[in-house]
This record gives sequence, structure tokens and C-alpha cells, in this order.
Amino acid sequence: MGHPCSTVTFERTQVGEKIVLHVVGRMDAENAVQFERQCESCIADGCRTLIVDLADLAYVSSMGLRSVVTVAKKLRDKGGDLRLCRLTGLVRQVFEITRLNQIFPPHESVESALMEG
Amino acid sequence: MPGSAPSLTLVAKAESLAPATEFVRKGAREAKLPESRIGELDLLIEEILMNIARYAYPASAPGMVTVTYSIAAPGELTVEVGDRGVAFDPLAADPPDLTLDLEHRPIGGLGIFMLRSFAKSLTYRREQGWNRLTFGISANP
Repeated sequence: MGHPCSTVTFERTQVGEKIVLHVVGRMDAENAVQFERQCESCIADGCRTLIVDLADLAYVSSMGLRSVVTVAKKLRDKGGDLRLCRLTGLVRQVFEITRLNQIFPPHESVESALMEG
Repeated sequence: MPGSAPSLTLVAKAESLAPATEFVRKGAREAKLPESRIGELDLLIEEILMNIARYAYPASAPGMVTVTYSIAAPGELTVEVGDRGVAFDPLAADPPDLTLDLEHRPIGGLGIFMLRSFAKSLTYRREQGWNRLTFGISANP
């Protein structure tokens, strides 16, 4: 079993005018705010299409969802778009149960998320 | 729960999430829950504890939260979370409207819904000034 102490790390890749943010670890009450900060930094740098790769996100709680919705609303207010891709396991289940998968139809690959629109 | 059940009392604040999680994971190991159930266990304890940390007590007078677990049979873990804060029955809370689009979706409000969705069983009782919320989690979904 993993240690309950929660960690999250980010890898940011610029693809043209879009940014792919690869999230590794957990998004819970302790560290969801770090995700928000990362995304806000991308938005501050002019990014309007943010692709969040969740392939290596093992866990998301309601606090993590809160951050995702917050960032998506900020991007939408600026005419931008948040796209999620590669959800697996519990994370996919959480998005399905809360029907956030209807607001953020999950892409099966980063490439598919980049190509949309 | 029986008086002999393992129990941990913590200050009802976000910083208590890690020790509370570690404690119920210990219960999961004793109950021989498979690794695949741990994410859901983490979710349940986080949603309950954070709700208590944010709403049970006035900010000026933080209180305590007590986590207790018991194992009815191998693969059957029961966790009770108690606090002496304002009475709150999560089972009576209105469900969120999940059909709203992004513009109309509130930022939060999904914690209780997730708790109710992921717990195999969930009971609430108010007794002698305590909120006692009990959930079950099993080896099999």
C-alpha cells in the first residue's frame, strides 16, 4: 500500500498554442490547490486550450473535482477550453459518477485532445 | 461500536486527513481488503473528514473527530466517524443537479454525493450531542 501522504507533480509541454499538463499522483484536499496554481500559470502565460493528461493520476476527491471545475470556468470566461484525456480506474469512475464526463468528454489520447477543434 | 474497537481522535482540521487515512488503511490491512479497494476507502474518509473540518465546528472553536473501525468478517471493514459539532445528516442532504452545464455547475458540492455513491452502506445517527456516521466497505465492490 502506498503512503497516504499525498503528492502530485506536473509536467508541462507546449504544443503550438496549446499546453499539455501531465498530472502525476493524487489530487485531494491537501494538494488540489497545486493543480489550480499550475493551470493558472498556464492561463497567465496566454494558454487558452489546456489539455490535462490524467493517465498517471491515481486518485481524485471532490476537492480535486472542485479545482478542475474552477479552472474550466476560468478558461471558459476567457474563451478557452479545458480538455481531459486518458482517465483510468478510480479517476474515470469519479468523473462518470458525478457526470463531469459529460462536461469534459474524456479523450482516449493526448493526440485526440490536441486535434479537437 | 464495541469499546475495544481501534479508535483515533484528531483535531477536526484538514491536516488530520493524513493520519486518519493511515489509520483506516491499517484497518483495511487487518480486514484483508484488496489493494484495489484502497482508493475508495481513501475517498470515503477524505469526504467525511473534510466535511467535518469545514462545517462541524465554528472556526473560532475547533473540535475533535474520532475515527473507529471494526471488522465484522474478513473483507468487511466498518468505519465510524464521530464529531460533536453541529448536527448534520449527510443522508438527508439534497442531491446535486448533475445535469447542469459548466456555466451553471457550482464549483463544489460533490463531496456528500461521492460519499453516498461509493459507500457500500452508510448510516447516520445523532446521539447525545454526537454525529455518528458509519460506512462499510467490502473486499468486493
